[in-house]
Amino acid sequence: MRLFIELVKRSFQRQLTYRAATFAGLATNFFFGMLRVAVMIALYGARSDVNGLSLRGAITFTGLTQALIGFLSLFGWYDMMNSIYTGAVACDLLKPMGYFTFWLAQDFGRALAQFVLRGFIIMAAYAVLIGIVFPQGIEQWAAVIVTMLLAWLISFAWRFLVNLSGFWTPDARAIGRFGFVLLYFVTGFLMPLRFFPDWFVRLCYYTPFPHMVNTVVEVYLGVLKGPQLVWALVKQASWAVLLVLVCQLTLRAGVRRLVIQGG
Amino acid sequence: MSPIIQVSDLRKHFKLARHYRGFLGSLRNLFTRQYRLVRAVDGISFNIEPGELVGYIGPNGAGKSTTIKMLAGLLVPTSGDLFINNHIPWRDRKSYVANIGAVFGQRTTLWWDLPVIESLDLLQYIYRVPAERFQRNLDEFRQLLDLDTFIDTPVRSLSLGQRMRADLCAAMMHDPVLLFLDEPTIGLDVVAKERIRQFIMHINHEHGTTILLTTHDLSDVEKLCERVMIIDHGKLLYDGALEILRERFGGKRKLVVDFAQEYETVEVEGAEVVARDGLRVTYEFERGTMTASNLIGRLSTLFRIHDLEVREPDIEATVRRIYEERLLEK
Amino acid sequence: MSYVIGIYRRLISVQIRSQMQYRFPFLVDLVATGFITISGFVTLAFVMQRFGSIAGWKLGEVAFLYGMVETSFGLMDMIFSGFDPGNFGRQTRLGRFDQLLLRPVDITLQVLGSEFVIRRLGRIAQGVVILILALTMIHIHWTFVKVLYLPVVLSSLIAFFGGLNIIGATISFWTLESIEIVNIFTYGGTEMMSYPMQIYPHWLRDFFSYVLPAIFLNYYPSLYFLGKPDPLHFPTIAPFLAPVAGFGVLGIALAFWKFGIRHYQSTGT
Repeated sequence: MRLFIELVKRSFQRQLTYRAATFAGLATNFFFGMLRVAVMIALYGARSDVNGLSLRGAITFTGLTQALIGFLSLFGWYDMMNSIYTGAVACDLLKPMGYFTFWLAQDFGRALAQFVLRGFIIMAAYAVLIGIVFPQGIEQWAAVIVTMLLAWLISFAWRFLVNLSGFWTPDARAIGRFGFVLLYFVTGFLMPLRFFPDWFVRLCYYTPFPHMVNTVVEVYLGVLKGPQLVWALVKQASWAVLLVLVCQLTLRAGVRRLVIQGG
Repeated sequence: MSPIIQVSDLRKHFKLARHYRGFLGSLRNLFTRQYRLVRAVDGISFNIEPGELVGYIGPNGAGKSTTIKMLAGLLVPTSGDLFINNHIPWRDRKSYVANIGAVFGQRTTLWWDLPVIESLDLLQYIYRVPAERFQRNLDEFRQLLDLDTFIDTPVRSLSLGQRMRADLCAAMMHDPVLLFLDEPTIGLDVVAKERIRQFIMHINHEHGTTILLTTHDLSDVEKLCERVMIIDHGKLLYDGALEILRERFGGKRKLVVDFAQEYETVEVEGAEVVARDGLRVTYEFERGTMTASNLIGRLSTLFRIHDLEVREPDIEATVRRIYEERLLEK
Repeated sequence: MSYVIGIYRRLISVQIRSQMQYRFPFLVDLVATGFITISGFVTLAFVMQRFGSIAGWKLGEVAFLYGMVETSFGLMDMIFSGFDPGNFGRQTRLGRFDQLLLRPVDITLQVLGSEFVIRRLGRIAQGVVILILALTMIHIHWTFVKVLYLPVVLSSLIAFFGGLNIIGATISFWTLESIEIVNIFTYGGTEMMSYPMQIYPHWLRDFFSYVLPAIFLNYYPSLYFLGKPDPLHFPTIAPFLAPVAGFGVLGIALAFWKFGIRHYQSTGT
């Protein structure tokens, strides 16, 4: 347990040193955010509510999604497959904690740092400059924290799986690119899933992806209330558990292959 | 016949600002101005005649690669005159570069995913080498460098030794009058090194290519160069024959003798016994006070000798002495 | 001159042949990049279905904007990949640039020929498909001038984005790092130009009219093609300034690049 916390701390600190990249990232986030706010305003026109989302909510959505990019590494994460290719994986597999837990801890540190450095600052800028929706009451805030943690876990498990392909093929990068491209669309990142036709949204929810972004957005904005909220969180948690299981199984298979093939 | 390389009071100064990295850093660089003047090359002059094979050595950070970059036209000098093969290298880059070749030990000039032969074909087009001359050179170098085993292999699959041979071939295909070799034997085993050295000697003797060789491996220098230039702290410390360098700064020579029978004492006047191992005795003697033939003569009147060998001082040790004891600054 | 073309052709062919050796990643990437474009379009289609229009622009019209941008950016990304700012600083640090200086060929030509990422064909193909789809959805009164002008606008767009890439490469030359800020202009620029630019706040519009003339490259020509009125009341010549804007930016970028090379040669970094 102590080791876990240590890894988280170390990873957190490392993220804080990438100052120039953070600044560039923030500027990019802000620019994209502004663009999308304008698009939302133009789309809504005179409307005040679209399928449960107010204009203010839609605007908040654009900020939230930008904030989540860094937190969830939505645009790709290749650290693990890189370590597989350099051979560092051999050391990592020998560490006194599970391989999955090892990367989990590091990613948590990274995600926390991204949340503080980019996520929080973006939302603050939005709050000051534009005015956004805030969760109401302790329960909603608690729900937000829970959903964000679950979303992070799901996103990590997915990234872990994608990177695991490095145990099987030298072309994991390409698989990675493909695996991350899916995230734009089905997670509800480009546009709130509520804007899409209901049949399509139902299809999306057969996958874990909407739970990375769309669920977080809807919990935050308070679109989901009461039993709906609880049900959404339960679904999210189930997907998280399922994905972690799949990770463990695939990891075991991967290690077996590595041992047999000799890297 | 005028020298092919004329260097006169060449200087290269770098104004190193306190370097902040990254994008924010370069913004910061715009506002703060804290400079440090680095005299990488601080007034060197030399001439090299066509057909010479010159070694260029110095410790790391001495200014070697900066000099070579200026000679190759990659860097513009801060001041001084540079005239090579009737060109000012950095000024007339394209026409200058068409007649020189360069091989860098650390990285290849060939295309990574292409078979060697296709890289060579592409270079033929780039350097506009007539088909007949290209074929002639290819046949010659192919044999000398033993390229046939891997000429159809992509460069990425080659071993270091193979890659180096391919690079050397590529550098010579357009018959350059001047060749810059930067660490051509680095990381190679003894056999591979020897093969590279043979090739270098061949092109120098048969093609008359002027060669400037930068290296850390002093046995390269010993085997190939008659003339050596030593640079340190941006200044040329020595420019002359290797033999003279050895004579003036070489220090003690060694004579290793295998005696025909056991002797109790093997002392002899004028030399010092530095090692003894059964029948083999190593003597050390000063170049100035005793010649090798003298010593051998003396020993053979006193003892029965089975075999002997004269060992020159390690050039590496010599050069190191020069740096450390600053012998050339006296 | 034929020597120059011959060099470029050969350098490109080397790149293509190299990439074709790695067939699996190539195919996967082809699908992946196409997927991004398609999913962008599908998102747009769904959203427009629900909202009907954006600032008076219907789906087909917005798709036209989107298709123009995707096609031209994809083409640029393929042709100008040698100048990709994300890669260029690192390549220079590894000594790649010095190698190019040692060959008796124009440097800009060599950098241009040093990369040619064919997997971008995915994005290009999708962009063309979307453009064709858009044209079926809307009703353009085609005149002779319009038919001639369309490829002009496309090439101006390519020149514009290419110029941005070259500027980014020159900057990364200095810092020897990959420059993320350029992403604002390339990826941000394409997103921005995919919507009718009248919806943006005036400070943003002004920047992309007078500093980086993006507005003349897609929005104004589209007003002309689609026969829509100009809500911003720019001079009537505005739709025809695309080549000026595009090739102007490219020209400035190339001048900046040449300056950058000279600086490199004299300080050697």
